[in-house]
Amino acid sequence: MSGFLADPIFSGLQQVLDLRQQQHTLTASNLANADTPGFKAQAIDFSDILSDVFRSAGTVRRTHAQHLGASNADNMEILELEAPPWSVDGNSVVPERETARLQENSLMYSAVSTGLSRRLAMLKYAANDGKL
Amino acid sequence: MDIIDTFNISASGLAAQRVRLQTISSNLANARTTRTENGGPYQRRSPIFEASAIDSFGSRLDRALSSVNISGIDVATGPGRRVHDPSHPDADASGHVLFPDIDILHEMVDLMTASRSYEANANVLDTTSELANRALQIGR
Repeated sequence: MSGFLADPIFSGLQQVLDLRQQQHTLTASNLANADTPGFKAQAIDFSDILSDVFRSAGTVRRTHAQHLGASNADNMEILELEAPPWSVDGNSVVPERETARLQENSLMYSAVSTGLSRRLAMLKYAANDGKL
Repeated sequence: MDIIDTFNISASGLAAQRVRLQTISSNLANARTTRTENGGPYQRRSPIFEASAIDSFGSRLDRALSSVNISGIDVATGPGRRVHDPSHPDADASGHVLFPDIDILHEMVDLMTASRSYEANANVLDTTSELANRALQIGR
């Protein structure tokens, strides 16, 4: 695939932005159910997916049914965290952990969206014949 | 799954915690109520929280997401607390009155937990709109 908007950096950043948004929704779901008896906190294992996104240089091609596809949400591994033995109602949501993840994730989201903006600014600069 | 779902999840959390706050205020207001429509003392109320999947047919991630809803309000059925107080208008022949079985301390702790949970959900809601705005500014 060619074209200036399909370059590895651009589509890689797009996918990471997608992932960050999905992580955010998961945190929202965990925090909404922080007081629901028996609810198990859900988590995405990020490091694997991130390295996959950039190892395949941004354009994710599916070579196996179990592999990541163009849409990461279809095949994403969702971990279910077990409640600690001292949990009275079987709920495994730790609000502190979720809040920390929320902050970290929103910081990374900002960083990635800034990256996307910069990439677009570079294209704009080139398209304008080097004039700002 | 889109950004609106995230708003809805947090909104469900806020609504559930607000109902919880309402039952707590009802319990505290009626901690010494001896007369009710059904006769007998007031019975303690507590909301039942239930996780409900927002999309059972979507992707693996969509299926992992749940909002929270209140599946009902549980009304206690115990006989109440028997206190000896012959001067009370509702005292029986032996001078005992049945008061609601409500522990003020318990309700206060519940109140604090509920308001913290409410804050956590409000915090997520703020962050969601911040992220959405951030996405709208890409390329500016």
